Amino acid sequence: MITSMRSGRFVALALLPSLLLYCFFVIVPVFWSAYYGFFEWSGVGATKGIGLQNYAEALQDPVFWRALKNNLIIVAASIFGQVPIALVLAILLNKNSLFHRFVRSAVFMPMVLSTVVVGLIWGYIYHPQFGLVNFVLEAVGLDNWTRGWLSDPDVNMYAVAVPIIWNFIGPYLIMFVAAIQNIPSEIDDACLIDGAIGRKKLLLVTLPMIWNMIKVVIVLCIAGSLKAFDQVFVMTGGGPAQSTELLATYMYNNTFNIYRYGYGSAVSTLIVIISMLMIGVSQVLMRGKES
Amino acid sequence: MPESTTAARLQPAPRRRWPRPGVTLTNTAMLLYALATLYPLIWLFQSAFKTNQNFFEKPFALPDTWVIENITRAWALSDMGRATLNSTIVTGSAIVLTVLLGALTAFVLSRFRFKGRTLLSGVFLLGMLIPIHSTLVPLFIMMNQAGILNTYWALILPYTSFELPLAIFIMAAYMSAIPKEIEEAAIIDGSGYWGIFVRMIFPLTLPAISTVAILAFLRYWNDFAFALVFINEPSLKTIPLSLAIFSDGFGTDYALTMAAMAISVVPTIVIFLIFQEQIMKGMVAGAVKG
Repeated sequence: MITSMRSGRFVALALLPSLLLYCFFVIVPVFWSAYYGFFEWSGVGATKGIGLQNYAEALQDPVFWRALKNNLIIVAASIFGQVPIALVLAILLNKNSLFHRFVRSAVFMPMVLSTVVVGLIWGYIYHPQFGLVNFVLEAVGLDNWTRGWLSDPDVNMYAVAVPIIWNFIGPYLIMFVAAIQNIPSEIDDACLIDGAIGRKKLLLVTLPMIWNMIKVVIVLCIAGSLKAFDQVFVMTGGGPAQSTELLATYMYNNTFNIYRYGYGSAVSTLIVIISMLMIGVSQVLMRGKES
Repeated sequence: MPESTTAARLQPAPRRRWPRPGVTLTNTAMLLYALATLYPLIWLFQSAFKTNQNFFEKPFALPDTWVIENITRAWALSDMGRATLNSTIVTGSAIVLTVLLGALTAFVLSRFRFKGRTLLSGVFLLGMLIPIHSTLVPLFIMMNQAGILNTYWALILPYTSFELPLAIFIMAAYMSAIPKEIEEAAIIDGSGYWGIFVRMIFPLTLPAISTVAILAFLRYWNDFAFALVFINEPSLKTIPLSLAIFSDGFGTDYALTMAAMAISVVPTIVIFLIFQEQIMKGMVAGAVKG
């Protein structure tokens, strides 16, 4: 550690560019959007201060609440889809053999694909006329199960959740594998001596030992699911009839399709508040269980 | 070493020469799972070489005839060349900026003691919690007023800013493990702080810098949301943006759309195959910190 007095000027000079850039593009926008939210503005012409009206309108709009509910469906799909799948895979794939590494890489692969490509591919998989899903259903004689997976409001939220689950399992698998490999080998020996093997060992030793990691992953699932936008935007754009609207697509459509910049800013601010609340609550809940 | 080979041969044969049926079963299941995960991608590549007719009639089969022409047509018709150039310029510049600014900041945060250091690290970490989409509208308005909307800067600057926290975190963790005698020796030799950074710390941090650069590449190359909002000018469109629009414009020419997508994912897949371990570790670190 360098503490000499001479270093002060260097420290300031070296930090300045990144701090300026970071504040201007990451921190300041959050406050600006809260401020813009008090105005009515169509992108051109004069702005008109309307106080809290935008915020009130959003909170009274049933579509806003549907979007929030859809976001929560994605959160639930991640917690009940990604976590169990990643956990089972990690329990079965925690060696560093070539085969285990291959399967882990395969599961991770979708992470590096562009979310647009993911959305487009799955859009085709779900396509009502030639999609793979309907093709398979027809081939096995379940013709009456076929449907427009992305247009039927009864199922389309679950349909869009599947690609999101598929897309983001990789990191959770790697984290669970790391946690399992971190269990000291003395514990394996002890288990052997005490006769804890197979399912007994899994339930009484392995799962409790990685319980903290499971909690971390659940918190990450909640934070990550709130970021969903690209895939849904590409697959459905939030439609039809706003049935797959997420908070982010709702914000986008209101701002850039019907040019209500003030309203979009208010919704952006609500997104920040909701995210912080959910991340905060999930962390408190997870910590509470520990003590 | 003939001796040791003999010794190995003389060892008793393992008791169980074949894996237990349970193991074979789980391995088969795992293999199927891996193939199922990869299938959408395999399907993309095989569909990219089909005629539209072939694509509708036998969606699962390999192409009847491999239509290489799809690829060249997609490249020419969809302006993929222009989009690739734009993506390369934006991604490349943003990576350079991210690495330089990130390394400099990480150097200061990890190796200097000064007032407000903890606060500053906290501020950078806080940024990882801010949902990117909530900044789209204010950034659009701000950059519009600054007159940089619809320029490369409208992507380079936000990309760099949002990647900085992770970059700083990864590089600072690496730098704090470098022995501090290095600076002491350099100061005695009369090097200034810039000299220490440029000639010693930066080169020593290269492994961490490469991780940062690879992760940044994937993030910038694949970004959709920023490009969608900040770029309207057709000649400035990046690959994900032109793909999204392409799929509308050529809505019924599926073979062509598939071919364009196949072209676009090749670079990221190649990077992934080369740097798997680094990417997996880096992304996990990013997820945990975020």
